[in-house]
Amino acid sequence: MRWVLPDYIQDALPSEAEQLESLRRKLLDAFRVRGYQLVAPPMLEYLDSLTTGAGHDLELRTFKLVDQLSGRTMGVRADMTPQVTRIDAHLLNRTGVSRLCYCGSVLHTLPSSATATREPLQLGAELYGHGGIEADVEILRLLAEVLRLADVPASRIDIGHMGLFHALAARAGLVPGREEELFGLLQAKDVPGLRTLVADVAEPVRAALLLLPELYGGPEVIEKAAALLPQDAEIAAALKDLRALAQSLSGLPISFDLADLRGYHYHSGVVFAAYGGGSPAALALGGRYDHVGAAFGRARPATGFSLDLRELVLHLSGRAVNGAILAPISDEAGLAAEVEALRGRGEIVVDALPGHEGTWNEAGCDRQLVLRSGRWTVEPLQGE
Amino acid sequence: MSSITLALSKGRIFEETLPLLAAAGIVPTDNPESSRKLIIGTNRPDVRLVIVRATDTPTYVQYGAADLGIAGKDVLLEHGGAGLYQPLDLNIARCRLCVAAPKGFDYAAATRPGGRIRIATKYIDSAKAHFAGKGMHVDLIKLYGSMELAPLVGLADAIVDLVSTGGTLRANNLEEVEEIMDISSRLIVNQASLKLKRDLIQPVLEAFAGAVKP
Repeated sequence: MRWVLPDYIQDALPSEAEQLESLRRKLLDAFRVRGYQLVAPPMLEYLDSLTTGAGHDLELRTFKLVDQLSGRTMGVRADMTPQVTRIDAHLLNRTGVSRLCYCGSVLHTLPSSATATREPLQLGAELYGHGGIEADVEILRLLAEVLRLADVPASRIDIGHMGLFHALAARAGLVPGREEELFGLLQAKDVPGLRTLVADVAEPVRAALLLLPELYGGPEVIEKAAALLPQDAEIAAALKDLRALAQSLSGLPISFDLADLRGYHYHSGVVFAAYGGGSPAALALGGRYDHVGAAFGRARPATGFSLDLRELVLHLSGRAVNGAILAPISDEAGLAAEVEALRGRGEIVVDALPGHEGTWNEAGCDRQLVLRSGRWTVEPLQGE
Repeated sequence: MSSITLALSKGRIFEETLPLLAAAGIVPTDNPESSRKLIIGTNRPDVRLVIVRATDTPTYVQYGAADLGIAGKDVLLEHGGAGLYQPLDLNIARCRLCVAAPKGFDYAAATRPGGRIRIATKYIDSAKAHFAGKGMHVDLIKLYGSMELAPLVGLADAIVDLVSTGGTLRANNLEEVEEIMDISSRLIVNQASLKLKRDLIQPVLEAFAGAVKP
């Protein structure tokens, strides 16, 4: 049992590791040309700054250890979004728009779903400083583009709005512990449980909370919500946001689920989840979290998304990729130049170290460089 | 073509689900009691049933191996419900989760705050939560069946188990000392399935909701 890895932890072996890395480069390049600047926060920080303003669920998910230098508790990041928010609020100090992106490993004490890893490779983009719906539109379009580039196009992007939950929970006047419970029941669309919890809540809030789990489907649910939910400034503002999204994003496979409280508790406005590739869980999650920056001294409008690259590569269709080319070790004229030229075109060329005949297949070679009538040519690998 | 899979256990849950399926226009082509097939077709080519152990139903739905499932609340509480929607109480396979002890056992004295009691049960999480709510410590012994035997042979002071008629308790000289909760079966739905196969799942949900007996 000496080489057994812990549960929900795995290696990335050559072909998967290559897929991960090439996808990481492709997606970070896509972020770069859209003005999203790369940041690389540390793997661990003091627990206070990792989880401040982010809610209890994230703290439970964070591995902790004690710093030998300061005696303070440190956490290994479970989500990079609060770190990037700290960078925007506290270090960059820009007054206008700031677009940031990141990619790195995070660690979870418990896997986020039945099939998830405890060490996701989190890749994401965040847009700070713009509170208008245009920022949400940009982020949702970027998410759709990223999934398209990864060859796992979103078959569904489900949009909700935390404002509805906040408005109704505030008007229901629940004690704090109960609000947590309400959140969980709505997430599970547990209507029988919900009915018990809101038994004492006054109308029309009670009826509105019971209605929320049924409000999912196409853009028509926004109008249904407008007609059936109580008159309230926060609810009206939320529905206005959703209407604007429905209009701007009509080219994408969007749907609405007004009880879907995705992501972490820090979300405050539009939230969304993207599905695709036949995965039983969402591939990417995101949304607006305007209040998190306050913990770092400056509340800034913020929205963004992130996804787990490890999960994403599981859904890539296995493309046939060329193997490596085996080159003889020789001082023959022209060989070195030919090898350079092949590598310049992105081919993998390896030197045939002596004494390993018959093993080059397992090293990934499927072709070889051979001298044919004075010219170096690539041929299928023979005699292996 | 898109299709949906419903996971359920044979026996009482299957029997009491048949009228609900009929309301949705779904009729199984085999009876799991007589057939040994684990995948059962229906009159609709886009709907099939898979026959699983009751405790496995939430797992099949959570991993997306089935889109829908029918599971008792007892099973869902032990599973935790992660990754599932639980939109509908079907009000079938009704029973109660209870504490039962040998006749003459002083349950009130054994469960004073600060007390300690040994409980044999299949429902570890539910039993733990119940006794924690009473502010007392409980030593749990996990058993997989024939719970009623445990107090009779001195393995435990009492048991936590499902009771429907109470016949087994009486036959073994036990009595119900406390009810924990009413149990019935829920319709559970895989979260991605509800989003991606809404056109197939929504009519089934509505037909079930309309056919649930109060």
